Amino acid sequence: MRIAVTGTPGTGKTTATEALADRGVDTPIIHLNDEIKSHDLWTERDVDRDSLVTDIEAVRSHLGEWDGVLESHLAHHFAADRVVVLRCGPAELESRLEARGDPPEKARENAESEALDVVLSEAVEEHGPEAVYEIDTTDRNPEAVADDIAAVIAGEREPSAGEVDFTEYLLP
Amino acid sequence: MSETADDKWGIAHVFSSFNNTLITITDLTGAETIVKSSGGTVVKQNRDEASPYAAMQMAETVAEEVKAAGIAGLHVRVRGPGGNGNKSPGPGAQATIRALARAGIEIGRIEDVTPIPHDGTRAPKNKRV
Ligand SMILES: Nc1ncnc2c1ncn2[C@@H]1O[C@H](COP(=O)(O)OP(=O)(O)O)[C@@H](O)[C@H]1O
Ligand SMILES: [Mg+2]
Repeated sequence: MRIAVTGTPGTGKTTATEALADRGVDTPIIHLNDEIKSHDLWTERDVDRDSLVTDIEAVRSHLGEWDGVLESHLAHHFAADRVVVLRCGPAELESRLEARGDPPEKARENAESEALDVVLSEAVEEHGPEAVYEIDTTDRNPEAVADDIAAVIAGEREPSAGEVDFTEYLLP
Repeated sequence: MSETADDKWGIAHVFSSFNNTLITITDLTGAETIVKSSGGTVVKQNRDEASPYAAMQMAETVAEEVKAAGIAGLHVRVRGPGGNGNKSPGPGAQATIRALARAGIEIGRIEDVTPIPHDGTRAPKNKRV
């Protein structure tokens, strides 16, 4: 079973999937951002965003017949059986990223992406609403989020999308 | 740009999320908000807030307020994936622009300034390969 765990940076994908791994689940977890960097799976640098522009085709052949959990804000761009989209209120997301040491412009652009449902919309567009499982992490701890991801893997949760509206963050 | 009411310009910011559309009109610096409107104010059903219909209704109301504020033209900045599985920039944005133009407001530059999620990596602009 291929489970993509996606969501705007700061929604807690790495933390929650590490919590899953700590429980001794035998599902392999692929932290895709690390793979992109260590295997040079990119085409150019986005200097403004201090980010590598991912070579989607190169990632696809690097992954091959993968199985388990694929964790990254890019995970929904790949074929998967179920797509988990972690969500977080943009103001909380912005402060999580700043607390993690990210520059304010990066925290701000990601918070705005979250407010506009950019990742959720792409996930629904690419996989259809029947494959998407939205999990709101706002004011919730990583263990509770890991429980929800485990429920998706176990087939104990119904698909969902668009249950939050974070657009208030965008109003002046 | 002169100070006469006839050629006062502003910026229309159109935000289209998965299930909502927001329009705010600011001055050219973006600092002063002149009008704001949310899809939730024109449609009853939550799932319709991102629809072109909601955007058109909003834009008609916004257009009147814009004209009342003495603004003759608007540059448009569109942000957002465009709602419920639609292509970017979504039909909400296009409906907004058409409704503003129909109300007699001059439309200047249209830019897509949708934010890009990034974390040391980012997707290419055209993700579909
Ligand atoms: N559920 C949560 N509640 C509060 N803070 C969290 C939560 N999950 C993660 N964090 C913190 O937020 C930051 C971003 O989490 P991280 O797992 O790196 O997110 P992602 O991998 O989605 O970018 C980290 O500093 C992390 O400690
Ligand atoms: Mg991460």
